[in-house]
Amino acid sequence: MSSRRSSRITDEEISELISKLQSLLPESRRRSMSRASAAKLLKETCSYIKSLHREVDDLSDRLSDLMSSMDSGSPQADIIRSILRS
Amino acid sequence: MQVAEAFKHAFLKQMLLGFQASVVSPKSMGFQERKSAIKLSADVAMAVARGTRKWTRGLIAGLSKEHQNRSFLQLILGEQYERLMKPCHSSWKIPRCKKIVRRSLRVCCRRKKKKNQVGVLARTLVAKRTQELKILVPGGESMDGFSLLDETLDYVVSLRAQADLMQSLLTTIEASKLRSHSKGTLPERKASYVGN
Repeated sequence: MSSRRSSRITDEEISELISKLQSLLPESRRRSMSRASAAKLLKETCSYIKSLHREVDDLSDRLSDLMSSMDSGSPQADIIRSILRS
Repeated sequence: MQVAEAFKHAFLKQMLLGFQASVVSPKSMGFQERKSAIKLSADVAMAVARGTRKWTRGLIAGLSKEHQNRSFLQLILGEQYERLMKPCHSSWKIPRCKKIVRRSLRVCCRRKKKKNQVGVLARTLVAKRTQELKILVPGGESMDGFSLLDETLDYVVSLRAQADLMQSLLTTIEASKLRSHSKGTLPERKASYVGN
């Protein structure tokens, strides 16, 4: 995103960034944001990031659970080793 | 907005390296230790897969600040560890600019205070949310304005991909476990059916 003229950022670039950010937010949040203010967009973005963090945390839990029975002799371990070798 | 295929491959590969170090290795871990290792692997995998961005540097720097993480990080990153740990030289400029920006903002606010109460409220709210965002995005404290939004966008796309990829790993491993379990019981069932 570098412009040749100067390092100043255009209004266009800013509004493009804002609309891209808005498009990332999940549908349910986007619908209630027809007249998005800067504060609302930032708030929704923060909420979304926090929920993604929670999702990853939960997935880590489940993966840890699943792999509790995976020792170095199991077929899954062999699969992992062979994928890494390729 | 989606991540590139190359991101997915790099993520999965790095994730599997993390699994190998934390699960497949002869050392047995408790649930919490294994979970922390998996989470650490996932964050490292996301940062490595994305490449060089302000937030990826911030993430790796943040993770390696914890002493207990360091040996695991070195193990799963190998020779990449040294390269990723090198300090970013451009970051020193920013604190100085921030002081100048803050000083000029204070002067502006004093002049406008009496005129625009609603505007002040809106700006305070934006400032508050921006501060929250800076805490959530790795390395955010040294970003402002455009670069904060730009990095946030990139970070959110990568986070979404991280969650999706972990989910597909979970599904794949669950499925392969089911297959290896059912393989064991199938011959017995056949025998009993034939017997009837």
